[in-house]
Amino acid sequence: MKEDNILKKIGLTTTVPVEVLIAAGYRPVDLNNLFITSDDYSKYIETAERDGFPKSLCAWIKGIYGACVENGIKEIVGVIEGDCSNTKALAEVLELRGIKVYPFSFPQSHRKEDVEVEIKKFMDIFHVSYEEVEVVRKKLNRIRKLAGELDRLTYAHDKVSGFENHLYQVSLSDFNGDADEFEKELETFILKVKKRDETCKKVRLGYIGVPPMTIDIYDFVERFDASFVYNEVQREFAFPRCEDASNIYEQYYDYTYPYDVNYRIKEIKKQIEDRRIDGIVHYTQAFCYRAVENIILKDKLNVPIINIEGDKMNSLDARTKLRLEAFLDMLGDLKEVSCV
Amino acid sequence: MCMRTLGIDLGSREVKIAVMEDGRIVNKSRVSTMTFYREYCSFDGKILVDLSKLEIDKIDKAVSTGYGRNNTDLRMFKAINEIKAHVYGGIYQTGLKDFILLDIGGQDVKVVRVEKGIITDLDLNEKCAASCGRYLENMANVLEIPLNSMSDYYDNPVELNSTCAVFSESELIGKIAEGINIKRLCAGVNYSLYKRLKPLMSNFKGKDLIVTGGVATNKAVKHYLERDYENIISVDGPQFNGAIGCCYYGESFL
Repeated sequence: MKEDNILKKIGLTTTVPVEVLIAAGYRPVDLNNLFITSDDYSKYIETAERDGFPKSLCAWIKGIYGACVENGIKEIVGVIEGDCSNTKALAEVLELRGIKVYPFSFPQSHRKEDVEVEIKKFMDIFHVSYEEVEVVRKKLNRIRKLAGELDRLTYAHDKVSGFENHLYQVSLSDFNGDADEFEKELETFILKVKKRDETCKKVRLGYIGVPPMTIDIYDFVERFDASFVYNEVQREFAFPRCEDASNIYEQYYDYTYPYDVNYRIKEIKKQIEDRRIDGIVHYTQAFCYRAVENIILKDKLNVPIINIEGDKMNSLDARTKLRLEAFLDMLGDLKEVSCV
Repeated sequence: MCMRTLGIDLGSREVKIAVMEDGRIVNKSRVSTMTFYREYCSFDGKILVDLSKLEIDKIDKAVSTGYGRNNTDLRMFKAINEIKAHVYGGIYQTGLKDFILLDIGGQDVKVVRVEKGIITDLDLNEKCAASCGRYLENMANVLEIPLNSMSDYYDNPVELNSTCAVFSESELIGKIAEGINIKRLCAGVNYSLYKRLKPLMSNFKGKDLIVTGGVATNKAVKHYLERDYENIISVDGPQFNGAIGCCYYGESFL
């Protein structure tokens, strides 16, 4: 590992092979997290709109742009294949603003050989060897395993809330910028929650889709005796099957988020079964192509599914609350019968 | 021994009562809301319904719903959300699990999307009566024609553009004064109600539309809705849908 100088920050727009960046001596910063956890989140959106981003565009893209510009991020990884076309255009605008953009692709062919080619290209850009990357991967996999344990404590033991499950797993995209520190934090948290009593809720929900802008959704559903026991994409960010992969290429091949919807559905179906999920909340961002995928998800998943949409607000609007309440109310009725 | 479930829907104009016996509706009745509270209820902290006066007996379970949840606090009754009651009514009466439900009552309109038997979207209009049954009643009064007869006409509607139900009355009187024939006036009233429903329905496109509530008996409104949906599904006694939903809920889940 190259640790000869102070770690340079590199911004991420989505999960990429972070092992390569850490091996190259970078400190990865997930710009999504930087945006959404900031008190200034709406200011970031405003910055982007002032610079010409349209009103009718995903708030994540605008927030990432604002967070990047306002926090003086000089370098980013731009995912040019496997994420949406808006991200691609975002990378181009950031380049225009003088930010160095390193490209990465999740090949849409989703063939192992192609994934390997892309990761090798990525390693070449950052001048790191396969061996160096594997050393980092093994270290990070220790943390990913801890995240897996936290996830199990959520769905098998009901000791971790849906929000906590979301928060820790989503943090694995950049390990909060410091993997060692994050590992300690996660270990301490797991020890703490193991001592908790189980808090079993009547309705077991799955959350699918991109992480929410409207973070209060986790607390909101608990008012109706429901909780999220599955966070699809956040869990993917944590690479729950990393131990089955014998190298970095396999690890990033066995990953659902950037690939086609049917590959995603296979994993979701398995989790619905394993976690005894009663209903699904599919979150999509306003103006995002993923809302179209709801047609397929609704058809292929055999549990009730509600599609909710977030835009610029970081809390649920009254109408969405009313919809969720009605959905949970009826799911609760069905659960009552199946419990008898 | 059969299982008897009572469902009561406390509407703004009428109270609808249904009794279900082992999955079959065996009794339906209606009383005006005022009469119901005055003649059939007493109050001792909670409202107590006198079932014997209603000539209903041997009830195993009782479920109520109504206009605003607080109004449904009847002793011995399990109160459920009115939207849910209407959805269960729709499921019971049609056997469908995926549909849009439009309930037009005396003073409110509900539109609900149901997928896999569960509500996934809903919208309400309870702030303005101009798209509700009460509007049609008032307009029929102005035209001095029975409500049922008015609902038969849909061809060549005279244009009524007011957003407000009160202003619509003046507008209608103006059209009467212009000498426009009664058929076109009736069609105009029906069409103006449909026009007000349109914006509410714009987020609820689909194939199957179940229409319930008092206005479901309005032929003209259903005729106009046929433009927007493949199938318009009517149910028996659409006014009783909420009460029937209560029975279905009671039998299935209590």
